Amino acid sequence: MNDTFEPRIVAFLCNWCSYAGADNAGIARMESPANVLPIRVMCSGRVSPEMILRAFRSGADGVLVLGCHIGDCHYISGNHRTIKRVPLVRNLLGYVGVNPDRLRLDWVSSAEAPKFAKVTREFVETVRALGPIAEEMEQ
Amino acid sequence: MTMIEQVRAQVTEKLAELDGVIGLRQTAVGTAPYLFQDGNSLSQLVLNPRYPLASVVSLLQKRYPEARFGVVVRGCDVRALVEMTKREQIDPDRLHLFGVACIAEEAEECHCADPAPDLTAWPTAELIGTPVEGAPPNPIIAEYETMSLEERRTFWKQQFLKCIKCYGCRDICPECFCESCALEDPLWVERGVLAPSFPMFHLIRAMHMASRCVACRQCELACPAHIPLTVLYDLIRRDVGDLLEYAPGADIAAAPPLALTLEEAPVRTELA
Repeated sequence: MNDTFEPRIVAFLCNWCSYAGADNAGIARMESPANVLPIRVMCSGRVSPEMILRAFRSGADGVLVLGCHIGDCHYISGNHRTIKRVPLVRNLLGYVGVNPDRLRLDWVSSAEAPKFAKVTREFVETVRALGPIAEEMEQ
Repeated sequence: MTMIEQVRAQVTEKLAELDGVIGLRQTAVGTAPYLFQDGNSLSQLVLNPRYPLASVVSLLQKRYPEARFGVVVRGCDVRALVEMTKREQIDPDRLHLFGVACIAEEAEECHCADPAPDLTAWPTAELIGTPVEGAPPNPIIAEYETMSLEERRTFWKQQFLKCIKCYGCRDICPECFCESCALEDPLWVERGVLAPSFPMFHLIRAMHMASRCVACRQCELACPAHIPLTVLYDLIRRDVGDLLEYAPGADIAAAPPLALTLEEAPVRTELA
């Protein structure tokens, strides 16, 4: 891949855990990549397949879904839906030839600022290696 | 007695007890769903072409909330009725099933794993014909594992490009009964764009088929562009089986897992 490619990442962050985690990473001045465009949602269970697909359609090279750890959901079981849904979307992307590694689900609590920085850094490198999504999305 | 004569005979026998029997009627102008109420019209009752009568049952049950109907169904129709019952679209207590067992050729044509109508869970039902064994799955499913991402992409892009966005796949689907449809929402599917922008239209529909698709193949038969939609839905159904251990249409007591908690319906993420 060319050295100048900077992936664009859309990150859906749950309001209660992951968004606070990202916030804390910022406050603590931890280094996390500027490639990430955060979108705050009330729950990772709110992230519908339509939202993920539209992010890709709109040019995101990768989509990150971050929520509360299982058991810590502010709505008790919102993220139980996420954990069932995202693997299905990943597989589906693979079936039509879009690399499933462009979609990642992980759990980041508000106390896990270092994990937020680590997950975003890792994911940016994963997607950087996969290259721009344009070819996979073209018709 | 041929199969259709047998069906007509059994429907005739039950007709007096019911407010009507839903089936396919063939006339000079074509074949369409029909509510048989008069024994004399039963000579027009036919089994082909296949049509998802479950949707018609749902409409009529909602329109006539007291009526007790019969319906002539195949194995896939029964599975569709099961999933619709779980989502409050069908009242099984007001329905009598005339289950018709598909013949081996029909099962093979549909790659149907489960051609025999499963009537055990239904309050009143009768089986007509001799059930046959399931047919092997669509060979493309096995081939799929060996295809590279690029090959898959090339394959589906060619297919999706043919789409004229007629919504036939959705309209024919017995499991598509939402009053507002994501496929009509300009937020997700741009208006006035043909073929629909990849991956929105087809992947949204495929995701909505997860834990719903009962493999009746009607979408594929309805598609004027001959897009092999069931290949995608078969793969999704397999994943739902592996990840969530759920088979749409099989067990009327099993709730659809995607909206349940992990305690109620666990997920085998190690397979994801």
